[in-house]
Amino acid sequence: MIRDRFPGSDILAQRGHWDDATRRVVLDRVHNIPPFRFFDEDEQRTLEALCERVLPQPGRPAARRVRIAPWIDERCSNEAHEGFRFDDMPPGPEAWRLGLRGLDETARALHGAPFAVLSDGHQGEVLDSVRRGEPPGETWRTLPPRRWWMQVALREITGVYYAHPTAWDEIGFGGPAYPRGYASLNRGAPEPWEAREDLGARAADEAERRAAATAPRTAEPDAEAGPAATSAATSDAPARRSIGAAE
Amino acid sequence: MKLHVHLSSDWLLETEMREYRPSEPVDFVVVGSGAGGGVMAQRLASFGFSVVVLEAGPWHDSETDMVSDEAGSARLYWDDLRITGGSEPLELGANNSGKGVGGSTIHYAAFCPRLHPSDFRVRSLDGVAVDWPISYDDLAPYYEAMEREYPVSGPHRYPWGRPHGYPYAPLQAGTAGQMLVKGCTALGIPVVAGGPVAIPAGRVGRRPHCIMRGFCLLGCKVGAKSSTLVSHIPDAIEHGAEIRTSSMAFDVVLDDAGRVRAVRYHRTLDDGRVVEEEQVCRAAVIAGYAIETPRLLLNSRSPRFPDGLADSSGLVGANLMAQAGPVVWGRFDEPIRQYKAPPACAISEEFYETDARNDFVRGYALQTVAPLPIAMAHLIADQDGLFGEELVRAMQDYDHYAAIGVLGEILPDPRNFVSLHPTERDRFGQPVPYVHFNLFENDRRMMAAGIARATAVLEAAGAIETRAVRRYAHLVGTCRMGASPDDSVVDRWCRSWDVPNLFITDGSILPTQGSANPALTISALAARTADWIRRAVPAGALDIRPASRRTVAA
Repeated sequence: MIRDRFPGSDILAQRGHWDDATRRVVLDRVHNIPPFRFFDEDEQRTLEALCERVLPQPGRPAARRVRIAPWIDERCSNEAHEGFRFDDMPPGPEAWRLGLRGLDETARALHGAPFAVLSDGHQGEVLDSVRRGEPPGETWRTLPPRRWWMQVALREITGVYYAHPTAWDEIGFGGPAYPRGYASLNRGAPEPWEAREDLGARAADEAERRAAATAPRTAEPDAEAGPAATSAATSDAPARRSIGAAE
Repeated sequence: MKLHVHLSSDWLLETEMREYRPSEPVDFVVVGSGAGGGVMAQRLASFGFSVVVLEAGPWHDSETDMVSDEAGSARLYWDDLRITGGSEPLELGANNSGKGVGGSTIHYAAFCPRLHPSDFRVRSLDGVAVDWPISYDDLAPYYEAMEREYPVSGPHRYPWGRPHGYPYAPLQAGTAGQMLVKGCTALGIPVVAGGPVAIPAGRVGRRPHCIMRGFCLLGCKVGAKSSTLVSHIPDAIEHGAEIRTSSMAFDVVLDDAGRVRAVRYHRTLDDGRVVEEEQVCRAAVIAGYAIETPRLLLNSRSPRFPDGLADSSGLVGANLMAQAGPVVWGRFDEPIRQYKAPPACAISEEFYETDARNDFVRGYALQTVAPLPIAMAHLIADQDGLFGEELVRAMQDYDHYAAIGVLGEILPDPRNFVSLHPTERDRFGQPVPYVHFNLFENDRRMMAAGIARATAVLEAAGAIETRAVRRYAHLVGTCRMGASPDDSVVDRWCRSWDVPNLFITDGSILPTQGSANPALTISALAARTADWIRRAVPAGALDIRPASRRTVAA
């Protein structure tokens, strides 16, 4: 379960302390959600379902929900790119369209129905097979699934979500800080205007984490793990895990 | 042209900038305005030369174009298409490529360590890579000059390489920086905090001091962090240089004698129209960094240089080096709030040099990094593609992470290169760069050792969990400087072996990279070349074509 770690946090209420340019950019992001122009209705449903599985927002009131899919659509219709493309990948908009098609193919192969109508658990299984780099589906023969998952789907979905003040409230980020700046620099102390962390919620999260860390892992470590791979836990404390990028 | 540029909250550059007609010959065209081009323009203009800087990007007005916001800062980066491949394809764009006046110094973290004396003699000392054609002592006075001019904050005695001190006192550390100090201290590893970082602990001229907002990588809206936009470009303009923005060079044109005559470029006008122009010049300095500089040379073909300008060695584009930059982060029980204070804070170069106990040569530095939420989410998601509730909850511990960047020396290898893509074209119709990068055995071992060390430091600081993700940082090395025209593109003065009035002063000329962030070294090399030009021009040296391999053979 996802607990409220920073109850009452409302970074947007600090907007009077931000500079004009920053305030404009952030408020535009919150209030002016672009219409879909690139994806058709089927693709929109698949994309919305994908975003909810990658960053679930259960029980969040509609007014507080972070809309992700419309911004990905906008990037695709503007043909925005990040200044590079991997030589085994098509251009961004095409990669999105192919990836969503691939998700539906995998969903049909594994569970006999399109991705958007599957249960949360079955959607998770589909995404796990893409993440591991071995999803069934014709499209994935030409679109490298793991590259698509890491560099397209996760990068862009997290990039939209963690740009939103609601996400900043969720993680305890102080947000824009010009011209006011920060003054409390020691011991991770919050500024007077920053929300306090709910230590009880954190302790509950931590207890669950420790329990999960000592339980046997279900997923096998990936053989061609890319940027991150699992290594042996250090011995001095059961809750201390060390996971390194070295092969 | 009337310039009206906010360089900080209370510093408005309001001046009449000199403008040249493209057909009017200037002494120097400088391509690029970053760490190399910005300093070069300032030096040449102050020596009395007429200078036009061709900058592909825009002016960044700190009031209107810079924001305290990760997602809103895309226009600071080089967003033109590049294709990236190899066994370890590099992420470009926001990761390592700036666009606009100031170049990558707009978005760098501003760590400004020097290279070590050993970096100039890697072949002699370690039997790998190459030696530089110059020594540390050749560059030392220019390091000192740049540390005053940027300026750089740091300890009164920096113990590594050639020990030295910094002109400004150490910058205040945030809690994340204190964790690197705490962990190193617990393990007995020497460490310093508060620099070397080009954020002065105090006011410099009209530049305000730092407000600890932590958005250094998104452009310093405050104007405290040094970039050539606030350090050297204003002075270049005062001395009569023109900074011509939205002007993307694509061809360096030679005359019949084989000397640079002009630089052709595409200029995007305010209304979006693109015009092709040609700036006539007496000499050219290319400072477009490790991808765009070789791209421009390879694209500048002529009967004399059918495969690319200044490429008689065949080394233009070869020996691309990315600096290893894996990030290791620890999760702490206590709060850290890493988003406060500049990410560039504490550093240890204790593992910089070759150590016989290692299974690799050369080494790495440990430096603080402090990812903002989107960057942190990307690091966490890169752990084997993490998603769902696991990802959300890992991010809810955002305030409890402290991170270390392992900045490591990757060795030059001709199998890592920049070339022109055979089919892809940019919006001006020019071939886009193809960037090819592989990791080799020494590099892998060095990175594994650096990750293990950073992990140990975070655990010693009290981390209850650590993670590591591979990353790469600065790009250098595609137009190597050397002692002979056979094995290098430019000589010890950064002058082309093939074309007497062509210079390169950016990261591409570095023969090796050390484990130091390259900006200060690039600026120091530019200042040194400018001094040589000041002496050489009256002697007529730029008119003389140096003996190339072909003439030697004949």
